[in-house]
Amino acid sequence: MTGIWQDFVTHQGQLIDGLIVSLQLAGLTLLFGLPGGLILAIAGTSRTRLTRYVAIALTEIGRGTPALVMLQLVYNGIPVTLSGLLSAGIALALTTAAYTSEIMRGGLQAVPEGEIEAASALGMSRWDTLRDVVIPQGLRIALPSLMSFSVIMFQATSLAFTIAVPELMSQAKSIANSNFHYFNLFIIAAVMYAAITISASAFTDRVERRLSRHV
Amino acid sequence: MSLADAAASKTTSAIRLDGVEKRFGDHLVLKRISLEVQPGQVVALIGPSGAGKSTLLRCINLLERPTAGTITVDGVTVHADHEIKERDLAALRSRVGMVFQSFNLFPHMTALRNITLPQQRVLGRSKAEAEARARALLSRVGLADKADQYPARCSGGQQQRIAIARALALDPKVMLFDEPTSALDPEVGLEVLKVMRELADEGMTMAVVTHEMQFARDVSDHLVVMGDGDIIEEGDPHQIFADPQQARTRQFLRAVLDRE
Ligand SMILES: Nc1ncnc2c1ncn2[C@@H]1O[C@H](COP(=O)(O)OP(=O)(O)O)[C@@H](O)[C@H]1O
Ligand SMILES: [Mg+2]
Repeated sequence: MTGIWQDFVTHQGQLIDGLIVSLQLAGLTLLFGLPGGLILAIAGTSRTRLTRYVAIALTEIGRGTPALVMLQLVYNGIPVTLSGLLSAGIALALTTAAYTSEIMRGGLQAVPEGEIEAASALGMSRWDTLRDVVIPQGLRIALPSLMSFSVIMFQATSLAFTIAVPELMSQAKSIANSNFHYFNLFIIAAVMYAAITISASAFTDRVERRLSRHV
Repeated sequence: MSLADAAASKTTSAIRLDGVEKRFGDHLVLKRISLEVQPGQVVALIGPSGAGKSTLLRCINLLERPTAGTITVDGVTVHADHEIKERDLAALRSRVGMVFQSFNLFPHMTALRNITLPQQRVLGRSKAEAEARARALLSRVGLADKADQYPARCSGGQQQRIAIARALALDPKVMLFDEPTSALDPEVGLEVLKVMRELADEGMTMAVVTHEMQFARDVSDHLVVMGDGDIIEEGDPHQIFADPQQARTRQFLRAVLDRE
């Protein structure tokens, strides 16, 4: 136990830098992934068949491809050379978009048909109805699931160590490679991931309770 | 619309349906219905459940696309067998307000926002303009103090009056009501009926599907009795209530009046 604490104290700078990179990567992933998911969700309910099919195809490909494969594909597979962080952000954002589009589509479809009819009867355009009536309520319905999924994606950022992004996992591994305290360092990494994950989940629960209070 | 306007456009009907037919698959729900509503007139539609009353009303503002026939509202004509242009659809809907049995307010917006948003989006009114109009309408339906409440915090009768204000805010030429009080307790329904009666007295053109026989008899100018996708009988409400000409009308009226 004291050994673990000792290792943490000695390497805290590097470990905390790693955690910051992990958080940045998660931020990048969600920044592009969540709007991407919304676009796919809306396109998936489009009246134009082509749009709908393209959205469904992208969603299925995104969900069918493991995040690790997506990561290698973007980093090594495409002819453009991108930094590790950017590649990881793009790859994880694609995965996020594919999965969250399903969650968001569920939310959008849960908005009562009667409200959409009322908007049409008032003469509101399809786009205004989407923007003012369907999306705000649909996202609110989807919010708890989106937040849980975001926590999972934060954990998935650890996959980026495979393409040399200096995030928490790769920092822990590189320290362990030099002092051979593999067990200690992976325990430290696990605790640091858990600290973020558990507080994010607690926050999710709070939001969920607040939302249900108002409906 | 003021009474003077109504008188000026007396020559054209506010609503005119010619041979309106609606099929859902091979289920014929409206059998070539023709109906005219004059400006300022209040038409009540009654009839057994499944008669096609809601479908007829929903065809007037094209929430349902008729499969045949022509619909004219305040000079805007739509033919079922032509493709309906976005512009005609918007023009028609801007002339028609609709009130639903289930209110259909936007639950994530305050009463005030429910009324201002469509004005801003559909008519391009400024926020200030829309708010002034919304507050005036809320006081008119007796809910000035509910402006900042969310629908869930309002009673059913209050929600329905907010929905009426929301529709009126767009200055419709015609108001459609689809069983506006059926989801309400009778005493709460009275608040809504009072607002509707005032609206009728002010000269609004209205088509009202209702189970409230008293409203149909005493407030409407013209009564339409529907059954099986067709108009069974129409005419002066008092006359039809006193002396129905058709056996099916008699049967229907006996059934509902006994229940009351
Ligand atoms: N969207 C729909 N799809 C299929 N059938 C429908 C639809 N809407 C209404 N109908 C049918 O049309 C008939 C008339 O319904 P409706 O207009 O709601 O009658 P009313 O309002 O007089 O009770 C009913 O038999 C109903 O089942
Ligand atoms: Mg009905």
